[in-house]
Amino acid sequence: MKAIEELVGLLSRLPGIGKKSAARIAFHLLRVDGSYAAALAERIEGIQARVRLCSVCGAYAEDDTCEACSDPRRDRSTVCVVEQPQDVLTLEASREWRGLYHVLGGLISPLDGVGPERLRIGTLVARVRNEGVREVVLATNPTVEGDTTALYVKKALEGTGANVSRLATGIPVGGDLEYADRLTIARSFRHRTIL
Amino acid sequence: MRLVSIETRSFRNLEDRPVDTDAERVFLVGENGQGKSNFLDAAYTLCFGASFRSALDGEAARKGQKAWGLGAYVDDGCAVQRSIRVLWEEGAKRILEDGKRVADRKELVARNPAVVFCHEDFTFASGEPERRRFFFDQTASLASADYVDRLRSYRRALRMRNASLREGRVDVVEVLDEQVAEHGLALTKARAGLAARFDPVFAERFESVSRIGTRVGLEYRPSWPVELGIRDIVERLRSKRREELTMATTLSGPHRDRFRFAQEGAGDFSDSASTGQLRLLALTLRVAQAVFASEETGRPPILLLDDVLLELDPEKRRRFMEALPSTPQAFFTFLPGEQWEAYRTASTLVYWTDDGRFARKEG
Ligand SMILES: [Zn+2]
Repeated sequence: MKAIEELVGLLSRLPGIGKKSAARIAFHLLRVDGSYAAALAERIEGIQARVRLCSVCGAYAEDDTCEACSDPRRDRSTVCVVEQPQDVLTLEASREWRGLYHVLGGLISPLDGVGPERLRIGTLVARVRNEGVREVVLATNPTVEGDTTALYVKKALEGTGANVSRLATGIPVGGDLEYADRLTIARSFRHRTIL
Repeated sequence: MRLVSIETRSFRNLEDRPVDTDAERVFLVGENGQGKSNFLDAAYTLCFGASFRSALDGEAARKGQKAWGLGAYVDDGCAVQRSIRVLWEEGAKRILEDGKRVADRKELVARNPAVVFCHEDFTFASGEPERRRFFFDQTASLASADYVDRLRSYRRALRMRNASLREGRVDVVEVLDEQVAEHGLALTKARAGLAARFDPVFAERFESVSRIGTRVGLEYRPSWPVELGIRDIVERLRSKRREELTMATTLSGPHRDRFRFAQEGAGDFSDSASTGQLRLLALTLRVAQAVFASEETGRPPILLLDDVLLELDPEKRRRFMEALPSTPQAFFTFLPGEQWEAYRTASTLVYWTDDGRFARKEG
């Protein structure tokens, strides 16, 4: 049937959803309460308009600036540098970091043609210079790309006077934190290494 | 460990049927092209997650098939047998141990060590430095998962650095100097340690099989001196910047390392050795690899010997068999004319191999 086939086709393009799961979801949606289906459709439709990137740090935000950037209780002299906007959500869920964030928007990856100029490194240096940042914690993952990016950022920050350190381990994937992940992040923040 | 049964599906020319392999030795006897080597490849793929016969997973599919599968039960001497499955479909490979997905092939290799002896090994003795690095990287990988990580990181950093050299991105090359130096130096040190421990294992066995009379040992000749530190290497790389930017490639490092077989008082053995001696050298490298992996990990590997005895005269064949380490399991392929009965032990299964089918030979 065309209506079902089209929905299954769209659903199976979602990450981690194969043809079988897509069909199961489609049949489920046929049977659920109509108001739930409507709310789901509305949320999906509105997500891109409602969520944008913070104009200061590049994290996900519903206003011009994100929750961390607009919270006066946060320590504005410390910035944690992450790869992707979703990493901010992960670290926030761990409740371990009380400073601000800076999202690079990727990692240096010469094999994929991604050079440093494609990342938000210039804006980070400007923030550190102009906003009295004294400590920068680099939280890129411990892969070759993550290490390379961390070293590059550290070099770019030379002369700003800020202390630069590195999280011992990376950030777990996905925003839904397990208890173990939370402990890992806490330990990681305590044992960060001076670069 | 021992593979107690192997089942294949659409794998090369093999019939889709389980084969009982629960014995210390499994002999596959048959003419060429009947599927003996393919069966060894099935066993190897189950232990290693990849074929020793082809670089592309898809090539193992039987003609006209788009998927293949392998399965085995494994006996570790525990009460419960384990299962391994390797499945290739829709262009992707999945490895499952006891039904659970294996995320990284190195975990499979660590739990299921196997050493294969095949014709292509000859190039370890005769051939390019790259083939020797391949052999010693494989040997180290059998003994240590950390080595695998180091090798991967080095290769990745090197490829990133070469790409940046091509692009003329000096700012990125500078940062990658440190990455390449760190991983490369760790690799150099690991290889130096490997060579020092591998040398006596190899030299003793090579003498006992070849009876040359002078010691032939392994020499490691690293591109970067082992005693240097990361700072020294970064300096070295920097001093060659212009040359490397012109050549658009990294001119020194573990990817340029050499391994040499040195005969006492006579220099490089590969230069003076006869074809027969080189063949024996290659075989002994595999024997030493098996012994080494076994000593380092306490897990003797499964041996897979593909038509290797054929090339040796009866006396060398006997000495070679004596040099083989005793392991819980070894697979051999033979041509019908060979004296395979002589190598039987109390626990040996013999199969006639014909057109992908295996018929048990009793008695
Ligand atoms: Zn923000």
